Amino acid sequence: MVLVEEDRSKSENNSNEKNADNSQYECNICLDTARDAVISLCGHLFCWPCLHKWLETRPNNQTCPVCKSAISKEKVIPLYGRNCTDKKDPRDKVPPRPQGQRTEAPRNNFFGSGLDGLHVSFGIGAFPFSFFASTFNITTENRMPAPAPGSTQYAEEQFLSRIFLIVAIIFIIWILLA
Amino acid sequence: MAQRLQKELANFMRDPIPGMSLDRNLVEGNLNVWVINVDGAPNTLYEGEIFKLQFKFPQRYPFDSPSVMFIGNKIPEHPHIYSNGHICLSILTDEWSPALSVQSVCLSIVSMLSSCKAKSRPPDDERYVQTCRDPSDPKKTRWFFHDDSV
Ligand SMILES: [Zn+2]
Ligand SMILES: [Zn+2]
Repeated sequence: MVLVEEDRSKSENNSNEKNADNSQYECNICLDTARDAVISLCGHLFCWPCLHKWLETRPNNQTCPVCKSAISKEKVIPLYGRNCTDKKDPRDKVPPRPQGQRTEAPRNNFFGSGLDGLHVSFGIGAFPFSFFASTFNITTENRMPAPAPGSTQYAEEQFLSRIFLIVAIIFIIWILLA
Repeated sequence: MAQRLQKELANFMRDPIPGMSLDRNLVEGNLNVWVINVDGAPNTLYEGEIFKLQFKFPQRYPFDSPSVMFIGNKIPEHPHIYSNGHICLSILTDEWSPALSVQSVCLSIVSMLSSCKAKSRPPDDERYVQTCRDPSDPKKTRWFFHDDSV
């Protein structure tokens, strides 16, 4: 009786030790042995596909799943074992992250505070609708990734929107006077 | 996801949390819903009471948090547990991370129960129970966390 129990506890110990050994190299997300392993600067191990998926889930708040320290694609280190034949950086394997889908906030300042009464103007028959169509087109174009400040595209757009602002103001004055 | 749940199940059986056991009947065949029997720990306010804790795992688990609530007619009386079984616990929503697991959620709930000094319901219990978006899914609620000290 006693012997049997001892045996059982021994084998349990063995299996526990084995598990403990393996679990050191388990991905913290899928709990499997990490494949295409990467390690964060905070020292936590993941499969790159798993970590990538998590980073995609919270693009604006990328934190280590284990310790919550800030983390990013650039701040993880790929791990290569001795017999690892595949020397490719695992971070290059997952399809590159799709470009962030930035939606430009509606340009309130374009029609701005001084032009609050504009919606009334729509009722006036003489008002040139084509003008509006073109300005609206400009704003939809802006939904694409916004050009970086300082680039020529940015300057051009600034210039264009200023021109349209001036044109709009002239129309408003014209309507008010008419 | 199924694989991760298999592993969690194995871990849960291998290192059981004192006072918590899987309700076998309900797990068979369906890994997406677990019911865990919770025995109130000795020397706590819940000693001798038995509760049922339900985990529902979404398709995107572990990237999305599980939906966790007490079910049945015995709901622990605790300042962060509503009488409909919903639990106000930040790791179940905002603070969820895929490195958490059934075990870590269970441990949080055990410590939440064990550290309770006086049995009571949350101050807004009545209102919340009547108005919550989905009584069967606490994740539909937008949670505001009172304090994490209890
Ligand atoms: Zn993984
Ligand atoms: Zn970490």
